[in-house]
Amino acid sequence: MGDQERGKLNVHSYSAELQARLERGAPGDFVVRDPGPLFKHKLADDIFNLCRANSLWPMTFGLACCAIEMMSLGMARFDISRFGSEVFRPSPRQSDLMIVAGTVNKKMASAVMTLYDQMPSPKWVIAMGNCAISGGPFAVEENYNVIEGVDKLIPVDVYVPGCPPRPEGLLEGILKLQEKISGVRHPFPQRKISDAPSY
Amino acid sequence: MGNLAENNTLHADLEPAIDIPSDNHYYLNMGPQHPSTHGVLRVLLEMDGEYVVEAQPVLGYGHRMQEKMGELKNWRAFMPNTGRMDYAAALQYNHGYVGLYERLCGIEVPARAEYIRVITSELNRIVSHHLWIGAMLLDMGAFTPILYTFDDREQVLDILEDVTGSRLTYCYFRVGGVCKDIDDNFIEKTRAFIKRQRERFDIYNDLVTGNIIFIKRTEGIGIISPDMARRYGVTGPVLRGSGIAYDVRKNEPYSVYPNFDFEIPVGQNGDSYDRYMVRLEEIEQSLRIIEQALDQLPDGPFLGKVPKKLKMPTGDCSFAVEAARGELTYYLVSGGGDIPYRLKIRVPSYSNLSVLPELCQGMLLSDLVAAMGSMDLVIPEIDR
Amino acid sequence: MHPATEKLISALQELSIQVDACDYQQRGYHFEIDLEADKLRSLAECMLAQEMFLVFVGGLHVKPAIEIVYQFASFERACRLVVRAAVKADNSMPTISDIYQGANWHERETRDFYGVVFTDHPYLKPLILAEEDVDLKPLLKKDEDLKETSEVRWAAPVEEKPEAEKAEQG
Repeated sequence: MGDQERGKLNVHSYSAELQARLERGAPGDFVVRDPGPLFKHKLADDIFNLCRANSLWPMTFGLACCAIEMMSLGMARFDISRFGSEVFRPSPRQSDLMIVAGTVNKKMASAVMTLYDQMPSPKWVIAMGNCAISGGPFAVEENYNVIEGVDKLIPVDVYVPGCPPRPEGLLEGILKLQEKISGVRHPFPQRKISDAPSY
Repeated sequence: MGNLAENNTLHADLEPAIDIPSDNHYYLNMGPQHPSTHGVLRVLLEMDGEYVVEAQPVLGYGHRMQEKMGELKNWRAFMPNTGRMDYAAALQYNHGYVGLYERLCGIEVPARAEYIRVITSELNRIVSHHLWIGAMLLDMGAFTPILYTFDDREQVLDILEDVTGSRLTYCYFRVGGVCKDIDDNFIEKTRAFIKRQRERFDIYNDLVTGNIIFIKRTEGIGIISPDMARRYGVTGPVLRGSGIAYDVRKNEPYSVYPNFDFEIPVGQNGDSYDRYMVRLEEIEQSLRIIEQALDQLPDGPFLGKVPKKLKMPTGDCSFAVEAARGELTYYLVSGGGDIPYRLKIRVPSYSNLSVLPELCQGMLLSDLVAAMGSMDLVIPEIDR
Repeated sequence: MHPATEKLISALQELSIQVDACDYQQRGYHFEIDLEADKLRSLAECMLAQEMFLVFVGGLHVKPAIEIVYQFASFERACRLVVRAAVKADNSMPTISDIYQGANWHERETRDFYGVVFTDHPYLKPLILAEEDVDLKPLLKKDEDLKETSEVRWAAPVEEKPEAEKAEQG
């Protein structure tokens, strides 16, 4: 492959934009995410939001350690499908929830922003784990590569701390997000995880 | 694309496409956000239709400055980082790191601590292989096996969580021992798990090993010859699949591994299927080691006497362990004091993945996924 | 000593490369070699002929020049070698990526971290760091932290006089 042809594939050359976003900092400055409801009617809006909250489609976006706990959440023991979010999509175009599970670094940052921009509105972001929240253990003085908090790049709705958080933690984060979207917490509490049969 | 579509016989014979002069080459960008790259690997592909002409992995999407941080922190402060490099087999990374300081400073480790280390890191190896079997088959389109392997995985995680305090990114070993003793409850649960896991092999075999789709998709795919493995420094199950019985546990024994009777499973052809079989057999061998270690477990202290601030001699030191993915080598250069002057971490997947450009020439794209899956990649480990 | 190891040592000595045996219990490797950059390629060819594999290539920033550390080991027996070679005056090093293809990425990584140029490397572009960070060289030490080569080597055995040792290593 010649260098020139490779250059065509250099899809992540957003460094100027990245720099601008890092300097701007505060998430309040971002462009409006949601163009507003389709129908300007409160009841319709409430119904839509209830539906959205109970069928979140997360994107498989594992960056590091937290991705494994995110996978665990999808498996039989923790079973995210009890709350309607088991449909993990590999494509941003088909998903409305981005779970940033892991460390975002300079090279990845532009891809994170691209993927976020590619998701259709309305869309939500969960920052999972300390790395995505603040850089976690990598926020050292000599840091030259890790982005200290994904909220410098994209707006975040729910923060789930932990290194990595337990799957229950992420589950609680998803329930919180449902509460944020629809105004009510999941109305049908299921069997507690502590009651699950032990082997 | 056109050339191949016109010539249907090519598809029948699965001839590699690189011999055909074609100006229809196109470029495909796989990753960094792709479900089968296990995180954030990006592979630039030059394609001729469905065939890969050239593949160039692009690393660094998970680079987390581990080597830089190794030069800034003393061992206590860097310990949690070791568990976050290869999060699927964190205890072996703990083991290499504490072993390095024990070798350099000549610190004695109580026998009980060494046995606990072996038991927990072998449990961790099993967890890692569980994860791999599930993830590789998920890449290849089989969703069911991952539900079974994760079920088994959770059993071990419960056991490990009792003693280490975390599910995934362990920071359990200390220079001079481990931070918490194991109790009868742990031993009982581990024995119950060994019994359960042996019964589960039948399920794996029914579900995966004899599955004709799985065999067709892995047999003869991604063959790594012993010579190629040597030139690239491939280690671990990927190397053993090629028939070379190299295992640091046998070759340069560390800890109490010489006390146990276990075998090194090897494959014959070096294809993806052999790598699968090797890993499956490794689970059984790990069970054997754990069984023997539980039987021989001595009494005594679990943490030796270690000065609060280590005084390292000047000089360099290297410590290799057999991690779940191959040989992990820490190389430390000390200029005195308790903070390393340089900490080089040789991670196994880095060399294992570097085979890919040579391996996948002329391969079908879907075979590339199978070959890459069989290497058991953990990207933040490669990028460090 | 394993016969194959003896063969390797004699093959290296034929290339007039001095091999020093080390205490494995203390250092974790069996032999160490201090090498001039010019002899590196012949050493690598010899290693490959003797069926050793490349464990890693890494940099080490010391005064007066950056050192590149190569570690070789054997699949068949316990034999581990550490080779240290200081870079040439123009901060360059011959590549061994055509002998050991596995060295390709290690050398690119070392270029990322230390800025060492490997001459004749087929594709010396940033591997780990982003293209924009080509001049970052994150693992270079600050001047106040930088140590002499002799300060990061094992002290010579106690019998020798300290003065003589300093003169020898400096």
